[in-house]
Formats: sequence, C-alpha cells, structure tokens
Amino acid sequence: MELLCLGLNHRTAPVEVRERFAVSNNRLGEASHELLALADASEGVVISTCNRTEFYLAAHGAEEAFKRIEIRLTEKIQLDSSVANHFYRKAKTEAARHLCRVVSGLDSMMLGETEIFGQVKQAYHSALEAGATGTILNKVFQRAFGVGKKVRTETSIQEGSTSVGSVAVDLAEKIFGHLKNSEVMILGAGEMSRVTAQSLVSRGAKSIFVTNRSLDRAQELANEMGGTAIPFDDWQSAMERVDVVISSTGAPHAIVQRADVEKIRRARKYRPLFFIDIAVPRDIDPAVGEIEEVYLYDIDTLEQLAEEARGRRQLQIEQCERIIELELEKLNLPGT
Amino acid sequence: MDRWFLIAATLLATVGGALGMISVHRGKRTQWTVAWVAAAFLCQIGFLSVRGEWRAACPLMDRGEILAFLAWSLTLFYLWVGPAYRISLLGVFTAPLVVIFQSLALIPGTLTANPLKIVGSNPWHETHSAMSVLSYGALALAAVAGIMFLVLDRQLKEQHLKSGLFRNLPPVRELLVSLERLLRLGTSLLTLGIIAGFLMPRAESAWGHLIAAMVVWLSYAALLAVKQIRGLTGRRLSLSAVILFVLSLAVFTFV
Repeated sequence: MELLCLGLNHRTAPVEVRERFAVSNNRLGEASHELLALADASEGVVISTCNRTEFYLAAHGAEEAFKRIEIRLTEKIQLDSSVANHFYRKAKTEAARHLCRVVSGLDSMMLGETEIFGQVKQAYHSALEAGATGTILNKVFQRAFGVGKKVRTETSIQEGSTSVGSVAVDLAEKIFGHLKNSEVMILGAGEMSRVTAQSLVSRGAKSIFVTNRSLDRAQELANEMGGTAIPFDDWQSAMERVDVVISSTGAPHAIVQRADVEKIRRARKYRPLFFIDIAVPRDIDPAVGEIEEVYLYDIDTLEQLAEEARGRRQLQIEQCERIIELELEKLNLPGT
Repeated sequence: MDRWFLIAATLLATVGGALGMISVHRGKRTQWTVAWVAAAFLCQIGFLSVRGEWRAACPLMDRGEILAFLAWSLTLFYLWVGPAYRISLLGVFTAPLVVIFQSLALIPGTLTANPLKIVGSNPWHETHSAMSVLSYGALALAAVAGIMFLVLDRQLKEQHLKSGLFRNLPPVRELLVSLERLLRLGTSLLTLGIIAGFLMPRAESAWGHLIAAMVVWLSYAALLAVKQIRGLTGRRLSLSAVILFVLSLAVFTFV
C-alpha cells in the first residue's frame, strides 16, 4: 500500500479550473468517502481550500491509481481530459513531504500563512468522521501536524503579513488611504473572512458589515469585530454605502453580478468600490471589474503581492525545509 | 538678466523632475524634488521681479510673461498643496509641465526683449490678470493630479502592481479629494478674475478674451456641479480636468 497525492493548486491551475474541483467544507467527509470508490483506494482524504484541491490516498500501484482517479474525476466534473495537465502527482516520501510543506504553509500562496493548518486539520477530521481514513493516513496526517507545529515554533516563517487578509487590506489602503474613513462589507463569515476582518479592524476600518447565509454566524463574526450583521438578502442595499467588499462565501456560483453593481452606481455617486474576491469558486462575476470605478481582485491576482513577501522569506524556507527533511527521516512513516 | 532667471528655473525644474523620475523608477521616494522645485520657484520670482520692475506693473503683458507667470503659479500651488495634502510624486508630475511652460516662454519672440513701462495701470486690470493666471496655476495642478489618478487607475485596473511608480503614488481617494479641492480653488480664483475683468476699463477687442474666459469658467463650474449633484467616476473627473485645462489655454490666444 502506497501513500499517494494528486492535486492542483494556484501554481498549476487557474481559478477557472480550481473552482471546478472545489469542495465545500460541509462536503469534505462525503468527498473523502467518494474518493475511495473513485480511486479504488482503501483510505482517502480530500483537502479543498481557496488555492488547492488535493486528494490523499492509500492505494496499490501509483501509476494505475493516478490514472483511475484522473479519468473518473474528469468524467465526474465533465471536463476535457487535458485538465489532467494541471494535476501534480506525488507518491510515497514525496507525498508525505508535500503534505508537511502544505501544513507548514510552505506551499501556500501566502507563504507561512496559518489558516492552512486549520483547513487541513478540518479536512482530515471530516475524513476521519466519515470513516475514510485508516492506519496509513491517520499516522501520516498526525505526524504532518506535528511537523507543521515544529516548523512554526522553530522558525519565523509565520511572522509579518502573509495572510490573504493582510494583503487584501494593503490593497484597500492603496485605494482609500487610511481605512478609518472606509466602510467595509464582508460577504461570507468563514475563516478567511474572520482573518480579513481582523486585519481591517487593526488598520482602523470605520465600520464593518457582515453578511452571511447564516445570520447567526454573521452576528457572531460581527460581535467579534465590533461590526454589524445584516441579513444576506440585504447585501445589495448595504453595498450602496460601503467602500470595500471582501467576499469569501462557499457559494458554487457568482453572487455579485455586474447588474447588481450598475444598479447602485448612481446612489454611490460613482465613488470607488473595491472588491476582493477571495472565494473559490469566485463570488464576483469578472464583468464587475469592467465598471469604471470598480477595482476587482480575485485570489489569483493577490499572488503578485504574495510573491514579494515570499522573496523576503526565502531564507526561512530553507530552514523550514531542513526541519521537514530531518523529521521525515526520523518518522519512518507507513506507505512511504 | 530676466531670461537667465527663467533659464535657471527651467534647468532646476528639469533636474528635479529627472532625478525624481529616476528615483521612482528605482522604487524609492525622494524628498529632493521639492527642494529642486523650490529653487526653481526662487528663480521664477527673480524673473517676475525683474520684469515687474521694467513694466512697473504686474508682468502679464505678453505671452512669454503669461507662460512664466503660469509656471510660477503652478509651482506655487505645488509647493503649497504637495506637502499640505502629503501627495507624494506630485513634484515629479508637476516639474515637466513647468518645464514645458517655461521652454515655450523662452522661444525667441515669445518674450518681449525690451518691455515697455505701463503708464497708469488700472488695479482692476491687474487683479483680473493676476487672479486669472493664479487660477490657471491651480487648474493646471488639478490636471496634474488628474494625470496621476489616470496612471494609478490604469495600474490598479490592469493589476500592474510591482512598479516603483505604483508603490509611490498616493492613494486613489487622496488624489481625487485633492483634484476636487484644486478645481474648486481654481474656479473660485477664476470667478474673481472674471469679476475684475468686467470692472476694468477695456477695449472692444477685449470682449473675445472675456467671453472665452466665461466659457472656461462655465465649463469648470458645470463640471463641479455635476460632481457635487450627480457624482462622477474618478476617471471622468480626471479626464475632464485634463481636457478642460488643455482647451482653456486657448483663452490666451485672445490676449
């Protein structure tokens, strides 16, 4: 039995492809279970974040298993077989090393970001609860979490602005200057929204409106941030007054259409409006960005800024890689 | 003597603008542009003082003087607005316009070589001339802020975020606020200039100039009214400020 990883991320696939493979948080366990049948594997874990979808499995014969899962996945999602070019395939130690790098934030768009650790943990627990994991994946994932913690405590890889939220706020400041005069609306009260909202509050955003399909969740986040929760049906009217919209819902299709923004332009007196779409699939129709006073950035575009931070942390990467290699040598993981 | 002051002012503005551009290209912000432009401003004052002494009046009698006065006015507003509104790079964008105005003034024949002394100058006439050219300085700086906005807007829209220019340009909102304030200031000064123009004794031939000035005033007033009442996108406001300023220079053909 071998440890295998098949995946695509922000470096190998554009958002248009990634969004087709995205799995919402509440379906991770179910998807991990489906993976067993798709790959004829004995164990499986599906990780899905804004920047990546990865399938970890324990199966016999790497080549055959990869082929099976690629063919069945592309059929299931109804995509051309050329989409397989976006996948990376890793087996045995290489797969374990990759998981450690992912958990440590070394493979993230925002180098050293901390959210990925929780996201992988959630994906693993969903698979565990769905009964999709066994001896191999349980041990590999638990050890990877240990390595991730070690990397974060023994290096300064997580220091500074490396989260999607911080970079998004930097862009907001380029448009609006001090955020103390800016009103912000957050569409979707997930983890990414919480992190983004924290950055906004720390930079002095005047007021924050939080909307979410679950009003309770919106209220919870709003209370945490000192903002106001609004019913999801009212987001259009709230958009008349805000300056920044940060969207990270788990919706399977675009929520904000060009027509929605066109309707409120007059009421806004054509003031600049900044959309940061950190959701996959994207929440904001790309046509919204064609409106004169609108600046629209999706998750892919934020990569440009992440690269700058990545450069500053190059030395830290080397240190982190050394820790991972040393730990992998010590662990003698099954399936590697 | 007067031409040397103007040549020195032009060279200082050229050096300040060029060094500023090089610095921006390297991704750094320099504080020296203000110093170079301030030195150019002193030379402009030298030029206007010499010409004013020869004229025994405000030196706004030929196109060369008007262009030099306009460059001085633009520099004055830059030195006032730039640090006050903390608009970085305004000097880098202003310096080329100053150089253009002064270079045009230095073209042989533009500046009267032996200016005549004005006998019995009228205070309303001088107020009209001074206020009008001062207003053009503010409106020119508004056009400069408009160009800066258009550059930043394009970079943000096309997501070209890595250049030194992008890093150093001020935020969009600050540029738009400054642009609107400069338009209001310029239009207010132009209002005073036009009122003085109606009060001064004038020849029949001056009507063309006054009507052209009225058209310019109405255009700017309409732009500000539309911005205030209906609202305007930053791009349209900036484009209007740039186009209106270029077209409004035609007023001087009637001088």
